[in-house]
Amino acid sequence: MNSDSKKTQYNLIPDSSRGMAVNCSNDIAMTLPESGRKMTLMEKLGILSDAAKYDVSCSSSGVGRKGDGTGIGNTSAAGICHSFSSDGRCISLLKILFTNECIYDCKYCINRKSNDVPRASFTPDEVCELTIQFYRRNYIEGLFLSSGIINSPTYTMELIYEAVYKLRTKYRFQRYIHVKAIPGADPMIIQQLGMLADRMSVNLELPTAEGLQKLAPNKHRKNILTPMRQIQTGITQNKEEIVVYKHASSFVPAGQSTQMIVGATPESDYQIMMVAENLYKKFDLKRVYYSAFVSVNEDKELPALPGGPPLLREHRLYQADWLLRFYGFEADELLSEQKPNFNILLDPKADWALRHLEMFPVEINRADYQTILRVPGIGVKSAQRIVRARRNGNLSFDDLKKIGVTLKRALYFITCSGRMMYPTKIEEDYITRNLISNKEKLPFDRDGMTYRQLSLFDDGMISSWNQAVSG
Amino acid sequence: MEEYYLICEDSLEGVFTGIYNAYLMKKPHSRLHISIGEEENLRLFAVYEDCPADEKKAASVAGTIIREFGTEAYLAICRALASGETDKGEAVYKTVVTGFHMKNRKALMGNLANPYVHRVFELARFTANEAHFHVEFLRFRELENGILYAKIGPKNNIITFIMLHFADRLPLENFVIHDEIRGIFAVHPKGKDWFLTSQEEGMEIHSDSFSKGEEEYSELFCRFFHTIAIKERNNYVLQRGMLPLRYRKYMTEFLK
Ligand code: SF4
Repeated sequence: MNSDSKKTQYNLIPDSSRGMAVNCSNDIAMTLPESGRKMTLMEKLGILSDAAKYDVSCSSSGVGRKGDGTGIGNTSAAGICHSFSSDGRCISLLKILFTNECIYDCKYCINRKSNDVPRASFTPDEVCELTIQFYRRNYIEGLFLSSGIINSPTYTMELIYEAVYKLRTKYRFQRYIHVKAIPGADPMIIQQLGMLADRMSVNLELPTAEGLQKLAPNKHRKNILTPMRQIQTGITQNKEEIVVYKHASSFVPAGQSTQMIVGATPESDYQIMMVAENLYKKFDLKRVYYSAFVSVNEDKELPALPGGPPLLREHRLYQADWLLRFYGFEADELLSEQKPNFNILLDPKADWALRHLEMFPVEINRADYQTILRVPGIGVKSAQRIVRARRNGNLSFDDLKKIGVTLKRALYFITCSGRMMYPTKIEEDYITRNLISNKEKLPFDRDGMTYRQLSLFDDGMISSWNQAVSG
Repeated sequence: MEEYYLICEDSLEGVFTGIYNAYLMKKPHSRLHISIGEEENLRLFAVYEDCPADEKKAASVAGTIIREFGTEAYLAICRALASGETDKGEAVYKTVVTGFHMKNRKALMGNLANPYVHRVFELARFTANEAHFHVEFLRFRELENGILYAKIGPKNNIITFIMLHFADRLPLENFVIHDEIRGIFAVHPKGKDWFLTSQEEGMEIHSDSFSKGEEEYSELFCRFFHTIAIKERNNYVLQRGMLPLRYRKYMTEFLK
């Protein structure tokens, strides 16, 4: 990878003419500091958090360990969101890039080499101070450090290592740190960083190798999967070591995650779910994140998305992801070659249930846990509570309501002591209509497409939307 | 038939003492009730009895609950009793009565079909949720003398629950959490055990003079808070759903 000299300096001072407005209002002018003047921390943070915002790292969950009293911090097993930004996303980590310099030119990325954007780099001490000071004030649970590529993947990882090493030693920060492993970096530096980080992730970027080739010409599927495998192996070996030597330090104890961009390339939901399932099964990933493509660059290779980022699609993928991880579903139960995309009107679980009406209704007082878990309107917590509560006697619909079951969804699929809640037809069209008229709560309302608009769709429009979302 | 009301103090000790006394009375539990503080709607055919908190009685009831129903039930009961709702005493009392009639007493809190158990479960969940929100949304500000200071205004008395968390999180900091509704301060001296104290006991906190670092880092966080949002995804309705407005008046990023 070659790089021009201007972009290789570490801690670079951008050459521009205007000062940056320091304020806390919503519309922050992304202007540049005067030439030759040293960039303030405020300016750097502005640039390097702005550049990191597309990376998803919703929660710091996955490790529950207590502070040992000698440093700063504890990591709670339940995800902690310290704030919610105006897009409604959780803020749990100080999410920043180490630098937004980059020698690559990924077409979808704001930091790509060919973009003329203000560039900045932190020093390791700046990263440490920000993390510590934000943590003390209860703004964040920890650090999520990613980076553009400066010089080479290995060189960049060394800079990240230096920052994280300082944070762990000099600043004695014992809490959550998530770092990106950069494909193509020396396995040695990935191994070393893994001994300091709680979580590591290598971004898959795009669901298929073809997509990657088209939009990220400097990246290769193989280079991405290699460090992923290395981290997986590292985690497994480390677990064995810890059994043998109690004090062996831990390697990536909160596991590995990845993310892919949805809607920039033409893959179907089915392809995406199959990829996710394989990542969970073959690479033991803790989480796969799906990121609705946000169009930040003009490029003929990128789809125009007049309706904004495909948020409904992203939402369906997350719902299905939960079904894989917590509800015992397999990807090809939900979708197939013949039905490659999720239903826009129904969540994947209701959609599945409607196609398997022969398995319903289930008797709440007798069915096993796994079966109850598959009933629309019953979540993991409710299913657990049902199994516990029924030991003290048969449950009624009233009891289910108290337990937290959403009866207006579940009622078509269950009986209590042999009776349904109301006399109701177990018939696909009828139930579909009823489920749809019960407005699903979606986490967004400006997807270019509100739920209300969606439900007015006729079939023809639905299929054209399906084409639109599948790229 | 007369109904008996035991008027208890609004505390764990108060209600536990009430339960102890209720069992001493040897009357049917259906006609015995625990109420917290002065009963507002006095009834004609009811007997009211003051029930001053008694440490020994309370300890004995606490021990019984843990022994008979397990620590999960005990924790749920403690949480329920931190609630701001006034029916909590009655709910806890009748839950204990229910538990003694169950074959498997350790399964008490799973018995959600029982209205009292369900109410305790619900109150405990309210408290736990509010405590969790404070673990997330509470903000410390650094005072001139280096002490971290946070002000809260919770509906339920959650301060002890969140102190366990923050003492573990910040063992080497001097910090104070101030419940301005109840006038309670929880104080954590660096490296030592934390304690509760009330406003009257002469707590002097100059909570309006902040350190220089405070100014700098609160502004930096504000900047971060705004730049990290993806404007193409702006969704204030979702934001409001996730972060209820009533917390925002205590949160650094919403104050500026
Ligand atoms: S490697 Fe690609 S995605 Fe990463 S910062 Fe550089 S251009 Fe962006």
